[in-house]
Amino acid sequence: MNNDIPVQALGPQGEVMAHAVDACVHCGFCLPACPTYALLGDEMDSPRGRIVLMKEVLEGGLDLLNAAPHLDRCLGCQACVTACPSGVPYGELITSFRGWSEPQRQRSPLDKAKRYAILKALPAPKLFSVAARVGQYAKPLAPVLPAALRGPLDLLPEHVPAMQPSPRVTPAQGQRRGRVAFLTGCAQQALAPNFNAATLRVLARNGIEVVIPDGQGCCGAAALHTGARDEALRLVRANLDAFNPDEYDAILSNAAGCGAGLKEYPIILHGLHDEERAKAFSAKVQDISEYLATLAREEGLEPFMPASRPLKIAYHDACHLAHAQKVRSAPRELLRMIPGVSIVEIPEGDLCCGSAGTYNLEQPELAGQLGARKAGHILSTTPDLIASGNIGCHTQIQSHVRRQGSPVPVMHTVEVLDLAYQGEL
Amino acid sequence: MTTEKLALTTNSPAHKPRSKGGADNALAAELMRLLGPKKVLSSLAERLSYRFDAIQFGVTPLAVVLPESTEDVIATVKAARRAGVRIVGRGAASGLSGGAAPMQPSVVISFTRMTKLEIFPERREAIAQPGVITLAVTDAARPHGLIYPPDPASFRTSTIGGNLGENAGGPLCFKYGVTGDYVTALDFVDAEGELHTLKRDAYDLAGLLIGSEGTLGLITSATLRLTPPPKFTRTLMAHFAEVGQAAEAVSAAIAAGAVPGKLEFMDQACTNAVEDYLHLGLPCDAGAVLLVDTDGDDLETVEVERALVEAACLEAGGVVRRAEGEAEAAALWQARRSVSPALGRIRPQRMNEDIVVPRSVLPEVVRQIRALGDASGFKLVQFGHIGDGNLHPNILFDPRKESEEAVHALAHEIALVALRHGGVLSGEHGIGTMKRDFMRDAVDAETMAALWNVKRALDPSGALNPGKILPDETHA
Ligand SMILES: Cc1cc2nc3c(=O)[nH]c(=O)nc-3n(C[C@H](O)[C@H](O)[C@H](O)COP(=O)(O)OP(=O)(O)OC[C@H]3O[C@@H](n4cnc5c(N)ncnc54)[C@H](O)[C@@H]3O)c2cc1C
Ligand code: SF4
Ligand code: SF4
Repeated sequence: MNNDIPVQALGPQGEVMAHAVDACVHCGFCLPACPTYALLGDEMDSPRGRIVLMKEVLEGGLDLLNAAPHLDRCLGCQACVTACPSGVPYGELITSFRGWSEPQRQRSPLDKAKRYAILKALPAPKLFSVAARVGQYAKPLAPVLPAALRGPLDLLPEHVPAMQPSPRVTPAQGQRRGRVAFLTGCAQQALAPNFNAATLRVLARNGIEVVIPDGQGCCGAAALHTGARDEALRLVRANLDAFNPDEYDAILSNAAGCGAGLKEYPIILHGLHDEERAKAFSAKVQDISEYLATLAREEGLEPFMPASRPLKIAYHDACHLAHAQKVRSAPRELLRMIPGVSIVEIPEGDLCCGSAGTYNLEQPELAGQLGARKAGHILSTTPDLIASGNIGCHTQIQSHVRRQGSPVPVMHTVEVLDLAYQGEL
Repeated sequence: MTTEKLALTTNSPAHKPRSKGGADNALAAELMRLLGPKKVLSSLAERLSYRFDAIQFGVTPLAVVLPESTEDVIATVKAARRAGVRIVGRGAASGLSGGAAPMQPSVVISFTRMTKLEIFPERREAIAQPGVITLAVTDAARPHGLIYPPDPASFRTSTIGGNLGENAGGPLCFKYGVTGDYVTALDFVDAEGELHTLKRDAYDLAGLLIGSEGTLGLITSATLRLTPPPKFTRTLMAHFAEVGQAAEAVSAAIAAGAVPGKLEFMDQACTNAVEDYLHLGLPCDAGAVLLVDTDGDDLETVEVERALVEAACLEAGGVVRRAEGEAEAAALWQARRSVSPALGRIRPQRMNEDIVVPRSVLPEVVRQIRALGDASGFKLVQFGHIGDGNLHPNILFDPRKESEEAVHALAHEIALVALRHGGVLSGEHGIGTMKRDFMRDAVDAETMAALWNVKRALDPSGALNPGKILPDETHA
């Protein structure tokens, strides 16, 4: 798309943005993939429309204030990236744009406080755990709270589990086949400590030593995607310091959003002095399912115990796994390795569940509509179990599936594998 | 309300953020009063988003209406008329001739929320509102054992209204026909805001509306013919050292009696663009690639036809690959479907020609166009529904470095090649703004006068989609 974006004035991130705008031929092929377009049916809430709006703002022809409501509604799900035949790096555009525009935003005090709280609590598991507990007690108050605060409360699980500290090193069982570093994630540790416990067990059982390096923190994705660029850079650099890629076969994450964030480091640091270090780091990053599936293909996995009955699993593609990381087949391959398990595909499977990081907090109405739509589609396949590879999707889907009156369990892919190893599936 | 009261300027106070619920100009305010705020877009960010299609950026509209019913369309047209404002219809804006891009401050009526679709399997018909996505018709018909054959490459995005506006075609159109062949009736709102219901009897007024690019009326409903899908399909790919050989093979295969379901070609530049993107293992050294489906309910005939095509390709010096199984066939067709946008990766802008020539002159025409491209210094690629003689020579360019006048001049020369060989300017993408200037070369003065008479009869004040198709009358 022809543009006059003042790249010089905008710096390295300006280059990233201008390149994305350039690449778009405004063909509209991305429109049917976009969840907000599906809900709202208007151009400015579509990927093509957002690209045009960002271009206009960057060129100075449109007030940021005018464009912001439509850009804020973007889930960052990157379904448009999958759909775009011209290879427009939309994810890089919106992330860079948010970083560039956030300092210019005027936000209400409540909005500011909320964002501050999210940014502080998410990367700090202990704080998040406390907050979640407080939130739990506040649940009965929900009907009288402002809508902005109701969204997050709705999402909290019935029971906030106790924190489980993870060991720094988990030795391989049997012959050691590999050594990996593991990013433990933030909110996930508080909300679903079993994801990590299961991950460590499954890896160890397959002869993989797992190190949880000290000094690691939040991947920075939440900060970055809400536009807090300085905060994000701080977190990114902390992780680059904590993980030395030369020491590990891979750097693993079991949260799709964090994994995608880690893989984005070279873009975040584009034009800055740590760019090379970021490239070396990101080259090693894999989702847990990618790593296990490769291991399975190349060397084989320890055999799973069969499920106790034929089990139909609805596998939900997390956007940050399927669209951002292009990991689709690995989790399905792994689940199919369990005797007795079959996978069902979910109608409109590519449409985001509405969780999308902090979306539930920022756009509760759209997030709710998407959550209900997703839950309905999932339940239409009458599954025995729902699996996905992302904590955000997990909480969102669980809450909407329950709201629609279904008791079907929702699990992380690796939890399913773990149960199969223990013969409890 | 008088026209004065609604007097508008293009520079309406849009640069200020709009106050909640307020409108940016008097027409938008009036439309909001009539239709309610949800169906009317008036802030600058909203209006800016409706000034382009897949080829061109036009003028920012004064207001955008997202109608939910025919009544909304009527009310909008009447309000726009009272205000003396022009009207542009819009589907998914995937058009490639600038059809949906306003050329002057207008009201854009975007049909994307009019998506009602009913299937009547016993009559083999569907009734669709204009905003229905093309693919949705087949998706809804398939459970009844039926499909809707028109299949533009944009079928996941484009709308039935836009397809009718452009009389869209696709690979299947060689054997099965284009959009217009599947429309049995339609409703449209004229420039006065009156609703008309047309069947295809007596004067084929419906036929006139189809392909009129929103310049004669706004289509609010269409009855579409559905057919059972062919039981068997076989796919074949052939590649040739030189473009003209592919065209010779096509002529020969058809002369031998083959009626392929689809018959498409891509030249070397296309093949390479797609290969760079999809990594399908396409023959990148070849000067041209042909993609052919033969289909039907009798497997033997389908195979015989494939053999005829194969023989013609070999005779013309081609290398033939038969697709084994559906997955391979699907991958090959994915290659063809991805051509257009894959080209966007090479240069940000492209001029997309859409000529049709008699099949007998195909080899000559593709060679001449190739030569024009080579001589011009521009990157020129050719692909298209070669079975119909429908070619899409595309000129790829970067407007910051290359002159748009030179691009236009080359496009004009290409158009003239087609016309010299007894061809026409547009097969399926329409004339829009892109080929409007070439109309005088294609149409003699008497016929042009007749076209203007038709336009005046249906739209006396020129309210509907001005600046499209017909060159200004004053120069006639
Ligand atoms: C990558 C790509 C590939 C394509 N491949 C093909 C192809 O194979 N075959 C093909 O034919 N086209 C193709 N096209 C062009 C385009 O998709 C078609 O012209 C399509 O029919 C346009 O539909 P739309 O809904 O996007 O309409 P728009 O682009 O929104 O509008 C097209 C025209 O129709 C008018 N219009 C829209 N709705 C109405 C209505 N309700 N009543 C009256 N007029 C209306 C508009 O004013 C405009 O003049 C392709 C486009 C792209 C980007
Ligand atoms: S599909 Fe890609 S090129 Fe086409 S409009 Fe969307 S982002 Fe732009
Ligand atoms: S990232 Fe998702 S929500 Fe945002 S524009 Fe792309 S498809 Fe739409």
